[in-house]
Amino acid sequence: MLVLSRQRDETIMIGDEIEITVVDIRGDKVRLGINAPSRIAVHRKEVYDSIRSENQRASQISRDDLSGIGPVMPATPATMLPTPISPGPLRDKPVVRAQVGPATLGRTGTSPTPIRRGPISGSAGEAAGS
Amino acid sequence: MEVRTTRFGTVNIADDRIIHLPKGLLGFGGFTRFCLLEPADDACFFWLQSVEEPSLAFVVTDPNFFVPDYSVPIRQEQADELGIKSLSDAQVFVIVNKVDNLLTGNLQGPVVINTLTRTGEQFVLAEKRWTTRHPLLKLNAAPNQQAMSA
Repeated sequence: MLVLSRQRDETIMIGDEIEITVVDIRGDKVRLGINAPSRIAVHRKEVYDSIRSENQRASQISRDDLSGIGPVMPATPATMLPTPISPGPLRDKPVVRAQVGPATLGRTGTSPTPIRRGPISGSAGEAAGS
Repeated sequence: MEVRTTRFGTVNIADDRIIHLPKGLLGFGGFTRFCLLEPADDACFFWLQSVEEPSLAFVVTDPNFFVPDYSVPIRQEQADELGIKSLSDAQVFVIVNKVDNLLTGNLQGPVVINTLTRTGEQFVLAEKRWTTRHPLLKLNAAPNQQAMSA
């Protein structure tokens, strides 16, 4: 690992697009300011690590783990009507073994989780948090 | 194509249903091709099954079933990367985990898929409001399972 010493208000460059500035030093806490193109995601590493370990754990789930979820399904069949996005071949449901079949994207209900335009908090512009 | 799985045997998946996650899921970067399987009873949980590794599968759901005020922010660069021209072309899943008697969803790391191209990515949200273990629902005890099979 490359180790550089910097004082307050000094900056290092990573490539020619990413700037990291030491904004403040208090005790054992360093505040960093990061300037980077918005296409470059900037996150605290703990966030990545926790998602990675959660993925790891989720990959161990078995079919039996899902037993007992029946009664929580949306009450009326109407709410489960598919919202077809690309009809045609995607809607065919081949018969498959084990009571599990190919699912169709876009059909998980009438009110899917919305996606909104906007910066993901924690992107470069505001990553200099605590 | 035939997809071998350890949980469901061999499943036949049309080539045009393969979902591509070019960056893989965090921690599973080597696996980029998946298919979506659903239980026969039209549940709100699906399996995101690796096409490449029979034992690799995740339970996923649309979190909006359980967390109505959840939404996923997307930057223009991310939309471009996934080829998402209209936000209605994208679909959000979260990976489900089982913690004791609770099913939880990883709302901090949603998987966003362009439903037209079936290309997706696991996002990393920094909003502290959403965690990797957001409670979705409590699993029911035995009586309810009996009711199901009745």
